[in-house]
Amino acid sequence: MSVVGKQLNPVQSSSAGAVTTSSSSAAGSSSSGGGGVEANGGSGGSSGAAAAGGGASNDAKRPAEPSSVSPDEVLHLTKITDDYLCSANANVFEIDFTRFKIRDLESGAVLFEIAKPPSEQYPDGLSVEETMLAAAEELSLEDTADPNAGRYVRYQFTPAFLNLKTVGATVEFTVGSQPVNNFRMIERHFFRDRLLKTFDFEFGYCIPYSKNTCEHIYEFPNLPPDLVAEMISSPFETRSDSFYFVENRLVMHNKADYAYDGGIIV
Amino acid sequence: MGFLTVLKKMRQKEKEMRILLLGLDNAGKTTILKRFNGEPIDTISPTLGFNIKTLEHNGYTLNMWDVGGQKSLRSYWRNYFECTDGLVWVVDSADRMRLESCGQELQVLLQEERLAGATLLVLCNKQDLPGALSSNEIKEDSTPRGYHHTSLAGCRS
Repeated sequence: MSVVGKQLNPVQSSSAGAVTTSSSSAAGSSSSGGGGVEANGGSGGSSGAAAAGGGASNDAKRPAEPSSVSPDEVLHLTKITDDYLCSANANVFEIDFTRFKIRDLESGAVLFEIAKPPSEQYPDGLSVEETMLAAAEELSLEDTADPNAGRYVRYQFTPAFLNLKTVGATVEFTVGSQPVNNFRMIERHFFRDRLLKTFDFEFGYCIPYSKNTCEHIYEFPNLPPDLVAEMISSPFETRSDSFYFVENRLVMHNKADYAYDGGIIV
Repeated sequence: MGFLTVLKKMRQKEKEMRILLLGLDNAGKTTILKRFNGEPIDTISPTLGFNIKTLEHNGYTLNMWDVGGQKSLRSYWRNYFECTDGLVWVVDSADRMRLESCGQELQVLLQEERLAGATLLVLCNKQDLPGALSSNEIKEDSTPRGYHHTSLAGCRS
């Protein structure tokens, strides 16, 4: 049974069992050649919000001063936000997401994986000092990147995805020249206005110029069959907001949406 | 209301456990972490930061932290001590050359007040390599005297 959607940027590692069943566009805004997963640099503004999936609802009005959002506030949101709650240049720590991966724990199959091309990452196996140099050289390049490219990821899965029991979701990210304290990630998943899952994790401290990974292994929420059917027949109405705080200050906000109708012949 | 909040928070904490994997570079910390979590171990590169696995099951959460062991990274280890319930010290049993410095690093760690409440497991990795020292031999060298909660185990990841 094939479970998966597509790979935006195929990575070298074998994704056994992952069958590409559909093709789709990447992030709504123009892709800047990266894996569509970076979120730094560039001018401010939230022009990218329009790119954040089709049919955004208009009723969740948010105040205009974005960086005043607290972790508590986002934990109490009852729906997906209309807008990004901080500008792309709020990311003063140069936190850069370089890989997203989803795997099925039962079969071990990698269901989804996107990564920035290795050329844009700091090569593995370098010492911290070498990485530091490489990072310094890349700063100017990063600044010219499209500010909202990569704040948004679109996932397409087959219906079988919703039958999975245990999945592991990995993020990999690099950190800039400053140490990062109290790094916290809050992710909220909704189908329409129904909260499916909250993920709240404190990374704590991140080493300057480090490359880090975090895999969250969890049991899939047990959803009633009629809800599952609705989710399958309503592509991209399942959506998520990912908020990243450093010392309780919102530094990054990414969005994603999901379809589960891959491979269905209409 | 205040009490209830405190109580809820305490109960929440009880349902979480934090394991910290440390050791010299090339000891096999990341390999062990991946092996534990059913991931392929054929392409592992030096950790230049941390790898975290958080495992949620029946309302309980197990957080495993693997922090890079290169010399330049060791001074950052202390940032990960807080709230650690279990410390797994991973030893490359075949690296006789560095066995002494391995023991010394562990001694330094165990002076740490913030790790005082943690249970220690010394994992003698790479038992399958020719020339690997057994866990008993390693015990002579690296187990700190007077540290009561130490368990040693041999393994090959």
